[in-house]
Amino acid sequence: MIDLSLTEDQRDCLQELVNVAMGRASDKLARFLQTFVHLRVPAIELISAQVLPQSFAEAYADQGVSMVSQGFYGERGVRGESILFYRSHDAQGIARILGYEPEEATEVEQLTDISSILTTTFLSGLAEQIDNHIGYSAPRVVTSDDTSIEKHLQQLSFTWELALKVDISYQVTDYAFHCDMVLLIPGEAIHSFQQALDNILNEI
Amino acid sequence: MLSPKTYDVLLNRLNLGVIVVNSAFEVEFINHFIETQCQVNYSDSVQQPLFSLFSDLPEAWLKRKIQSVFVLGTPAFSNWEQRRHVFKMRHTRPVTTQSDYMVQNLSFLPLSQNSEVVQQVAIIIEDVTDTCFYQERLQDTLKTLEHTSQTDALTGIANRRFFEERFLYEFARAKKQQLELSLMMFDMDRFKSINDFYGHQAGDYILQEAAQLITQQMSRLDVFARYGGEEFCLILPQKNIMQAHQFAESVRQKIYAHDFVFDNRRIQTSISVGIAQLDEDSESFESLVTQADIALYQSKREGRNRTSCYKK
Repeated sequence: MIDLSLTEDQRDCLQELVNVAMGRASDKLARFLQTFVHLRVPAIELISAQVLPQSFAEAYADQGVSMVSQGFYGERGVRGESILFYRSHDAQGIARILGYEPEEATEVEQLTDISSILTTTFLSGLAEQIDNHIGYSAPRVVTSDDTSIEKHLQQLSFTWELALKVDISYQVTDYAFHCDMVLLIPGEAIHSFQQALDNILNEI
Repeated sequence: MLSPKTYDVLLNRLNLGVIVVNSAFEVEFINHFIETQCQVNYSDSVQQPLFSLFSDLPEAWLKRKIQSVFVLGTPAFSNWEQRRHVFKMRHTRPVTTQSDYMVQNLSFLPLSQNSEVVQQVAIIIEDVTDTCFYQERLQDTLKTLEHTSQTDALTGIANRRFFEERFLYEFARAKKQQLELSLMMFDMDRFKSINDFYGHQAGDYILQEAAQLITQQMSRLDVFARYGGEEFCLILPQKNIMQAHQFAESVRQKIYAHDFVFDNRRIQTSISVGIAQLDEDSESFESLVTQADIALYQSKREGRNRTSCYKK
């Protein structure tokens, strides 16, 4: 049995890493989108993947939701899957943020593109800090409006043990845009994360 | 350790297309795969602008995509399900598949040497024509299967399975939104005699022809199904029992007046109809079926070729 819990020091350290990663991500995004990107300090939460389906099904019960998944794999056993959740009204008009012409990309393509950008910029920022290098698989829309989110998450929770929930809230000039990001991480990879956190803590 | 020469061989033998571009969108490298599939050669290609070397590229989108890799320093992707091909290429299965061009998955990878600055972007092109072909075949098969599982083979209208599925849905919807809903069930009169006298093929013809006639008369919302044997049913959403009765009578008269001609012989036939409507006491869709059935047998008892409404 792997101890999934983090010590208080490890948790603080992780929050700091996430803050820095987010800062770097929004910095890069602002350059790419050539606009001001406002980013709230992300709240992180470590939860067992088993409770994820229920908590998210409740949070998104009232409306349609789209989920985009992207796998990642790094050195020393760091790997997992990133899931981004968009409410229907947030999924519209992403073309504007990306600078595409409206007819140029379908809504699904816009969703996978923005998801890939958010996931890879954030995770690369995280990886740099723990001296790791991460590769990615192509993003996929795993569910759209009419499929049950709970069903999808239940299938995922068989594969993964721990979920790092990061609430991202992006605001791009006059266009408010929000999505939730969840990193699903298997047990042995959490070990790698804990190890990386301890290494940083020991250096201080 | 591989020698640079071996790296070169490997890159050129890969079953993947590799194009390297710089930040001015000029081609710096193409591998053998690209040479053969796009019918260009290496020496004519390098230092050419990407968008003049390959025609018909979705320029604005592709530029934005490549730019994102330069600026963000992270990979980007394009999936065939959203965009079947970006580069127009021949593929290895031109005979067996229906695609004109190679169906592609693309990865855009940042290349940098010992610094964070991205110097080039590698575009990796994967041939997924096969995947696309089988996926589409699967979708087609699923559609056919779905249709077959919902259709009555003889008459081409819905079958009982589909009727029950839809009725369950319409029943719940009408209850929830307090909409009117009626159910009509009918039976071909003396069908056994027709079979015995004119033969089973004549019986089949009667069923097919009657189904055709009624299909022409029903409205868009109605669901018409063969319940079994010579028994049919119609779900009539947004109709109360008066409206359902009016509709049933027009159907009954039409069948009775119609010239069914089989093998040059004119066959006269009629139907007996029972109708029931949803009310506050209706507990399940099965109870409505039972009520319509009771009304149908009342029509039979009272001499056939008539319509009866269920009364409590």
